[in-house]
Amino acid sequence: MNRDTFLFLGFVGLFAVVNIVLLSTGTVTADWTGLGIIVAAGLTLCLYTFLYKDNLLFKFAEHVYVGVAAAYIFGQVWYPTLYGEIIEPMTGSEQGASQDTWWLLIPTLLGCLMLTRFSARIGWLSRIAFAFVVGLGAGFAIPRTISSYIINQIEPTLGALSLTVDGLNLFIILVGVVTVLIYFFFSVEHTGVVGRASKVGIWFLMISFGASFGYTIMARLSLLIGRVTFLFRDWLGLNIAQ
Amino acid sequence: MEKLLNIDRRIIFIFVFLGVSIPLLVEELEFPVKPTQNVRAVHEMLETAAQSDGGGLVLFSFDYGPSAQPELQPMALSLLRHCFSRGIKVVAICLMPDAPGLAEQALTTAAGEYDREVGSDYVFMGYKPGFASVLINMGQDFKSAFPKDRWGTPTEELPVTRHVDSLKDFDAVIDLAAGATPEMWIAYGQEKFKFPLGVGCTAVMAPDLFPFLQSGQMTGLIGGLAGAAEYEALIKTPGTATIGMRPQSVTHLVLILFILLGNVMYFLTRRRAAGSTGATA
Amino acid sequence: MIFLRRTAPLVLAFVVGILGIGVFYVPHETAQDLEKNLSLWLRIVFAFSFFLGLVSLMNLHWSRIQQRGGGWGYSLVVYVSFGIMFLFVVYNDGDGPFAPQAAAGGYQWMFLNVHVPCGATMFSILAFFIASAAYRTFRARSPEAAILLVSAVIVMLGRVPIGAFISDLIPTAAQWLMAVPNLAAKRGILLGVSLGVIATSLRIIFGIERAYLGGGEE
Repeated sequence: MNRDTFLFLGFVGLFAVVNIVLLSTGTVTADWTGLGIIVAAGLTLCLYTFLYKDNLLFKFAEHVYVGVAAAYIFGQVWYPTLYGEIIEPMTGSEQGASQDTWWLLIPTLLGCLMLTRFSARIGWLSRIAFAFVVGLGAGFAIPRTISSYIINQIEPTLGALSLTVDGLNLFIILVGVVTVLIYFFFSVEHTGVVGRASKVGIWFLMISFGASFGYTIMARLSLLIGRVTFLFRDWLGLNIAQ
Repeated sequence: MEKLLNIDRRIIFIFVFLGVSIPLLVEELEFPVKPTQNVRAVHEMLETAAQSDGGGLVLFSFDYGPSAQPELQPMALSLLRHCFSRGIKVVAICLMPDAPGLAEQALTTAAGEYDREVGSDYVFMGYKPGFASVLINMGQDFKSAFPKDRWGTPTEELPVTRHVDSLKDFDAVIDLAAGATPEMWIAYGQEKFKFPLGVGCTAVMAPDLFPFLQSGQMTGLIGGLAGAAEYEALIKTPGTATIGMRPQSVTHLVLILFILLGNVMYFLTRRRAAGSTGATA
Repeated sequence: MIFLRRTAPLVLAFVVGILGIGVFYVPHETAQDLEKNLSLWLRIVFAFSFFLGLVSLMNLHWSRIQQRGGGWGYSLVVYVSFGIMFLFVVYNDGDGPFAPQAAAGGYQWMFLNVHVPCGATMFSILAFFIASAAYRTFRARSPEAAILLVSAVIVMLGRVPIGAFISDLIPTAAQWLMAVPNLAAKRGILLGVSLGVIATSLRIIFGIERAYLGGGEE
């Protein structure tokens, strides 16, 4: 047995010993809730072993997650939509299938056509379903994109400038938006005035990317803090001071 | 110096872990949390909703999964506590398939603290697939988008949703998002029905949403765990987010020191290399 | 046959696309009812699209098990864990699959004690890697990189309480960075992306963009 095997066996043994101690001291209760905490802690620690190196424990936990997630999402699709909005109204479990519910056959048929994609022979039928989804999605998107993301964004950019702090900020925003758009306009060579404006645009983009980087670090650390809080407070029962 | 620049990354991992763990266990480290303007705006939006006729009706859209749970669940709890403490009625929906379990957990926890009852004080409509198409459907006819709640009770029979016909019947909408749903709420909901929209989002997404704050399409923004801590300070109910600010602060300092140290050593190494090149030339 | 395979889908995409645009601008009750029904149908079709992903996933792991390829044991783990969770889904706390979803039971237990911890932990691992990457590669090699670095440091300090503890100027600077230059850059990107979305949507509606139909015999 090599060093890594010893390490991982030791890890599993330590986890077992810690849980025995927690159960015997009553920190973790010997019921479904307690078992749930132990399972959650075990899967968390298995995934964290990846920080040492890729290993059997990590892969096992990862694949358990994939299987459970797929079945969970099946449940979320089945109960509210497939059963709740198609099968139950059409089989008339409460009021009897009404004329209105027969219209549901159309989207149901389209949905079933989508599944023909897996067949080499009749897979072309799925194009009808995809054409409906993508075409309608595109149609819904265009007017709303124009209104919300273009007109309603240009309007505040062109607000009245003034010699106040707010006015100065508005001017900086106007310069920033214009120079960033110039930077992304690659049909014109970035030389001369366009080149200088594009350079200013890059500075604005760098500030933005730096801010995004800072926020991303904050986000990932928050996730880590959440998991460590769970391990310390809910599993080990340590006192997390508030 | 080369050794320090190429240090085994597992040593950096240990520093990060210590930066997170030690502040969690040390009571003496305390940093007051000051709410910012964008978080206050969400708070004021709910206070205004509470003063409307009928005590206020707010729609919560839970659009996050387990990957954003540590950031958004404390936010959800604080917002729900605020609503329930002020007697605001809550309608909760989910646009992400991973969200219902977390939404249910937040609703039952917060409702239990204020003795609020499902059906008469809050309802949970569950998840519907389709993202933007759900918003369009809700905007036209709420009851056709959600004919029943999560547990099969018809929407018409629930006191909270009996008179809700469309999105314009809500006094405010809160979107708790880990994906692109805030932009969808703006384009497919707020743009037509002009309701006040408050967004709680992961810190990764927050920088992208500032244009919507300035344009008024979004009333307020709670970004990340820090935003959640600010909201807990506003409602004077410290929770997991406030606890998280200690390790967050310390680990940020540790990371900044690492980055600065890396840059200092990089420049020193470059200067040394330039010096030795000059000497040999 | 070409009409059914190629022309009919393109015609359908055009018709529903134009309808989707039209109902936004027509306030008449008929148009609004049409918008409601179209969005309802779209929601239902979306629900079926989940099965595309599910079948692909299960096919991938099944072929690994059949071929006894490297790591096939893990594919077996996927099937076993899917099977256990699926049983809880179908059991529905005793009510079965043809009843509204139960409020509690094994399904919720598996979600809270398997799905949530795994999902949260997966992404939290990135905290370690981002720290390591930042130390090794985040260098102010150029003025632009230096701007990025300074901006990141100000925001990282300004958004946590320790920034205000050090100096009140830090959170103010961070807030200004977010609300002015960051806003300007993001708005510029948003405008550009939105124009791209409109162009692509129009190309889809008019049948110029056909990649969504998939490959295969025309």
